[in-house]
Amino acid sequence: MDFISGLLPHILNGLALGLLFALIALGFTLIVSVMEVINLAHGSLFALGAYVALLVISPDLSALGPLGEAYAALPLGARYAIALVIAPLAVAVVGFGLEVCLRRTYGKKKEYGLLLTFGAALVIEEAIRLTWGPAEQVLPTPEAVTGAFLAGDMIYSKYRVFAAVFGLCAIGLVWLFLDKTPYGAIIKAGAHDSEMVRALGINLSRLQLLVFGFGAALAGIAGIILAPIWGLRPHVGVDAVIPAFLIIVLGGIGSFWGAVAGGLLVGLAVGITGAYATDWSILSMYLLLILVLSVRARGLFGKKTVLET
Amino acid sequence: MKQRLTRLLLAAAPLALAAGLAAEAFAENKPLVIGLTSDASGQYANSGASDRRGMLMAIEEFNAKGGVLGRRIETVHIDTETTPATGSRVAERMISQHKVGFLIGAVSSGVANAISQVAQKHGVIYLNTNSSSPTESGKNCHRVKFVWDGNGTNFAQSAVKSAIGTYGKDWLLLTNDYVWGHNTSATTRKLAEANGATIVEEILVPQGTRDFSSILLKTQQIGPKVIAAAVGGDDQKAMRTQVADLGMGAKYAWINNQQDWPDVYGLPKENLFGVFGTTWYYKLDLPGVDDFVKRYQALYPDTKMRVPGNVFFNGYWATRSLLEAVEKAGTTNNHAVIKRLEQLRIPAEVRLQHDDAYMNPKTHQMQQTVYLATANLESDDPDHLFKIVSRSAPDTIADRAAEETCKLESFEDTPVYQP
Repeated sequence: MDFISGLLPHILNGLALGLLFALIALGFTLIVSVMEVINLAHGSLFALGAYVALLVISPDLSALGPLGEAYAALPLGARYAIALVIAPLAVAVVGFGLEVCLRRTYGKKKEYGLLLTFGAALVIEEAIRLTWGPAEQVLPTPEAVTGAFLAGDMIYSKYRVFAAVFGLCAIGLVWLFLDKTPYGAIIKAGAHDSEMVRALGINLSRLQLLVFGFGAALAGIAGIILAPIWGLRPHVGVDAVIPAFLIIVLGGIGSFWGAVAGGLLVGLAVGITGAYATDWSILSMYLLLILVLSVRARGLFGKKTVLET
Repeated sequence: MKQRLTRLLLAAAPLALAAGLAAEAFAENKPLVIGLTSDASGQYANSGASDRRGMLMAIEEFNAKGGVLGRRIETVHIDTETTPATGSRVAERMISQHKVGFLIGAVSSGVANAISQVAQKHGVIYLNTNSSSPTESGKNCHRVKFVWDGNGTNFAQSAVKSAIGTYGKDWLLLTNDYVWGHNTSATTRKLAEANGATIVEEILVPQGTRDFSSILLKTQQIGPKVIAAAVGGDDQKAMRTQVADLGMGAKYAWINNQQDWPDVYGLPKENLFGVFGTTWYYKLDLPGVDDFVKRYQALYPDTKMRVPGNVFFNGYWATRSLLEAVEKAGTTNNHAVIKRLEQLRIPAEVRLQHDDAYMNPKTHQMQQTVYLATANLESDDPDHLFKIVSRSAPDTIADRAAEETCKLESFEDTPVYQP
């Protein structure tokens, strides 16, 4: 096997991984850009999404009698699809609650928001531990995307392809929403100049509530998609929040495409070093960050942000 | 004047004697505080909880019969976070502020090593319950430290030789990039090469790895016959899930040095590919095992882990053996208790294993039966995960190299400590 044909699977794998990283960072970047808050509870919301999905996919509905049995008899694919809708909504509701708590910190030092979301992360993680227990859980996936297929002479995971395609679609849909709908225009305007948005008569509090909920829902979706790969345990969110933070700094705080590009670059870095210098694979994302910030202090697509004021 | 002073002294003497006796009685009856140094966060959070439950059950049993030497046993737990630096800090704090009598607990060898250095400095007996790097009873051994788990060498010896004959000679090592992973893989390499195998590659897996796709792609490109994995904790859980998803569990012969029960409990049996070592299983067909399981279930009725595993077992036995040693020594003096522990021998029927277990006085590592297991796909019982395929008596898998590398401090160099 020559070097190029040996490298190609790792590049493709890195891109797939990058899409998943971008998916993790999407909700994070949305909240930072509009709310001016670094949401350290992002990882816990990520975990919560996966756990709620577990509840929706494999519920104990024996108390509901025939209705419960009928639901349990639904194909796994159907329950998975339902989970992909219900779990993010549930996480969005938690996000709404968190945003209401955050309101007292608006206009004050950024550290207050940071501390509050950090506290919320611990509370959510502990609530998960109390509800579902500390042990490892498995989020079932539909049979159609379970198992492996042969790509040339390599075995590759069907679920990973599904997850990457899902990530791509989610990125596309969020972009369409932000770029092509009036609601998206308001959100972007809010990120750019919140005072002007308020002056135009738009209810900024409601906008912030909705954006935080939307960002939380995106974290929940990422959790559902990543859980079958990373596994599911109460502290799985810690594994998500660090790369999410790194990616938005790398891509430029508040930049949608920055988050996508940052995710892809991190995926490529981790994927390729994972093949040729595995012990450097986690470190590679930090080295990449140092490299980019040395050249562009605001990240790849970053502009002067609210966090700098 | 002289007479008055004499009378005063005579009157004061009984009072002083009474006060002295009262003080001694108070000291004897004051609670004995044990510091639990188990992880509650990080890679071994789940195992740390299981370890702690084992220690607490032993303490509960002693307190139910009046404590030890008439003293009630109390505990203090501080999270060691699966981080060596935190382990050092926690040990210092427990000794200097909480005045603990003993320190118990570890899953990570890095953390165990850090704690034991602090413990040796103060002369506090420390029980490394569940970390299994060969260095823990080798070059990092200490007079105050006792290691209760089987180590990488024990497990490798029970698996390597037969695997070469059965599966082939091209071996790939997957090594968690920290002390336990490195030492375990080094032992596996040595044993495999000594028995005619070739190590075609060693892949280092950084701690905290959640995505194994590039590693598994590379493994396919290399195409070994046998994969010997020394990957633990959450890293191992993620690896098992991804290997099972790719169907690679059946494509290669996997040897997982040791399989801690909390790392696999709740996972589908398909994820339990390959063979792996363990020191205990709740379905061992031995008298007393069922009763042990029932005691666990009675004490922890709400835990999601319905049956105890090897980590719990080690936590329990370490603590119980320490308290029995204190009782036999009749004192909490560290030198006396250490001498008792160095002579420890537990009959198989008491220990709930197939062979008598004993403490190696040269290395302070518990010598015990090691079982080789695989997934139990025949049972529908979700708790009945393992099928024991063979077992090795302690002397057949002993870590002889550790006896050469371990240099225990002398008693003269170990500070006296009497909590």
